[in-house]
Amino acid sequence: MYLDHASTTPVRAEVLAAMEPFFGPRFGNPSSVHRWGREARVSLDEARERLAVCLGAHPDEVCFTSGGTEGDNFAILGAYRTQKSGGRTAAVTTPIEHKAVLAAVHQVAAEGGEARLVRVDANGCLDRADFTRCIDTHVAVASVMWVNNEIGVMQDVPSLAAEAKANGVVFHTDAVQAFGKTAINAATMPFDLLTLSGHKIGAPKGIGALFIRRNTPLEPMFHGGSQDRGRRPGTENVAFAVGLATAAELVLAEHAVEDRRLRVMRETFEARLHARITDLVIHGEQAARAPHITNLSIPGTDSESMLMALDLRGIACSAGSACQSGSVSASHVLTAMGVPPSLANAALRISFGCLNDDAGIERAIDVLCTLAAKARGPQPAFA
Amino acid sequence: MTGPVAGERVLVAMSGGVDSSVAAALLVGAGCDVVGVTMKLHQDGADVPDRPCCSLDATSDARRVCDTLGIPHYVTNLVDHFTDDVLRDFVSEYARGRTPIPCVRCNTFTKFRDLLHKADAIDARWLATGHYARMGMRNGQPVMRRGLDPAKDQSYFLWGIDRTVLDRLVLPIGSQTKVETREIAKRFGLRTANKVESQDICFVPDGDHVRVLREHLGDDAPSLSPGPFRLTTGEVVGEHDGFARFTVGQRKGLPGGFADAMFVVEILPDERAVVIGPRDALLGRGVVAHDVSWLVDAPRVGDTVHVQVRSRAKAAAATIIRLDDTVIELAFHEPVSAISPGQSLVIYDGDVVLGGGVIKSSRRELLIVGSM
Repeated sequence: MYLDHASTTPVRAEVLAAMEPFFGPRFGNPSSVHRWGREARVSLDEARERLAVCLGAHPDEVCFTSGGTEGDNFAILGAYRTQKSGGRTAAVTTPIEHKAVLAAVHQVAAEGGEARLVRVDANGCLDRADFTRCIDTHVAVASVMWVNNEIGVMQDVPSLAAEAKANGVVFHTDAVQAFGKTAINAATMPFDLLTLSGHKIGAPKGIGALFIRRNTPLEPMFHGGSQDRGRRPGTENVAFAVGLATAAELVLAEHAVEDRRLRVMRETFEARLHARITDLVIHGEQAARAPHITNLSIPGTDSESMLMALDLRGIACSAGSACQSGSVSASHVLTAMGVPPSLANAALRISFGCLNDDAGIERAIDVLCTLAAKARGPQPAFA
Repeated sequence: MTGPVAGERVLVAMSGGVDSSVAAALLVGAGCDVVGVTMKLHQDGADVPDRPCCSLDATSDARRVCDTLGIPHYVTNLVDHFTDDVLRDFVSEYARGRTPIPCVRCNTFTKFRDLLHKADAIDARWLATGHYARMGMRNGQPVMRRGLDPAKDQSYFLWGIDRTVLDRLVLPIGSQTKVETREIAKRFGLRTANKVESQDICFVPDGDHVRVLREHLGDDAPSLSPGPFRLTTGEVVGEHDGFARFTVGQRKGLPGGFADAMFVVEILPDERAVVIGPRDALLGRGVVAHDVSWLVDAPRVGDTVHVQVRSRAKAAAATIIRLDDTVIELAFHEPVSAISPGQSLVIYDGDVVLGGGVIKSSRRELLIVGSM
């Protein structure tokens, strides 16, 4: 049973079908002048327009990328590098961002800029007064994640963006977990840059997009041809761009129904688990959360052992940040929220989505309770 | 003969090398429910390509082998435990002029204790490794025997594990030679079949243990600072650049100009002195070891056993002349060379591992004690 939709999702059948012609007869290079090229270019432009509609954006504000990490790096480093000569040399972010944002901000510091981290509270909500303190005329870019990928907690991005803009600060949000889970509209919300990733919403891995509001100063990461107005040189991945646009449209069309379904599923899951494990801790429980993520700790267990035991019983979920070799270490998000190490090392992230139904959830609850009882009871005596 | 039967779950410790790969393959072949687990033990050089174990490449090899065998694979992060139990001891032992064997402590504390907790968590009745040693029964009790191939026997490194672990331990390759192991790997189509063997300590991939000591102790640590070379008579015959570079029995890096070949015979950390002498000066007539641990019921004072004072040494007959909960003293029947404090003293009865301890000192002369 797959309870790890925040890690990745399967490519949807509709998406696969929409992409297929581009692996066959419509293989052209969008930059070519001939018929094959024209066909590809038209499809790419269409995909850009369709995705723009999904975001309330102009088509020229959509830049296709390789995914979330590229989008985050492009946004933060691009905005910093363009503005540093004008005296805006700081980057503001939170300690609970995805590593793609945190590492890009570290890179800003490595290039001579200043990194400012806004405090978060025990529920993972950003300290608004501290944000205000961090925003001044020396800041080039502020980046705040819309929906946290580990705990699902949402920040008030429209309002934060407005405050940043009022101070001349470029505002970026990593919306990789937010798209399709909360309303996003570039026409009414003042963010300048917004990162999307395809594989979280039923498109393939290796495609994403960065929304770039018109007139936002942004130095390209790559240097090469004139594709995507020179912002993102390199022959475009037409098939995947079409896949991303298709997935985005599907997700938005289903949003109302799916939001309700996932919310009920998560609430049921959390309520049942609370009832059976009385000392259960759900991180960010008191904050506004996206519907698909629950991050919980069962005191006296450890995530690593639980993940193995769950997997051996056919249940897939995540712990904190997975490190490169696949082993588990304490999450920087929970640590920043002040969660003590013993609880942080017990954290499990369960994320619901298209592959889950109510019957599966019941089984997951039973297995979790069984494993928790075993881990917290006396050790087995093999003899 | 104890061991898992078909259907029972076995956790196999997989380093990414050929030995543990084959251990897993044999258990899969026997119909066991095998789960491969690779321990992440340290941060050093995780990205060193081609490193035989504990690197990203080695972990990937283990994962690929498990995929070939159709079994699950996990990585367990034991960095903190390994640092506390193994790495710190390694550094402090060298700082005290001794020559530790980190693999022994890793087996005792990490592999056969911490990893066993993971086995508990996944309901694995058995824990298997790719060591060249064998499990068997004697008088109704599980015992550990030497690996059948004397060139590969690794029982020397396993004396310290908790006796209760024997009942859950599986050593599938202990009756094979390395050549046979590689042949089995080929038969199973395992990518590790021709992998080079790891010779170095896993956290000292370049073999330069001094670099590791310097990182932990600092450049100006006494053990890494100059001190005198002395003869056993006390005469100073030169200067060395840190006693942690030396081990008892070592010949390399000593001053020349003597009629006989010279060896390190003693390290005196308080005086930073490295004492050197001819081959005869290396001979010990007895040995004292601490941290004694038994894999069988403890023998008694007066018993004759066979002991090994280093990994590739021949077993020597000895009589136990003192024994309490943690300390043992033995008298050799024939003198034994190059007894190095910090190395393991492993005690055998034939090919059965009785137990062992950590060498504290050698005795040049035997004391006559009342019990003899």
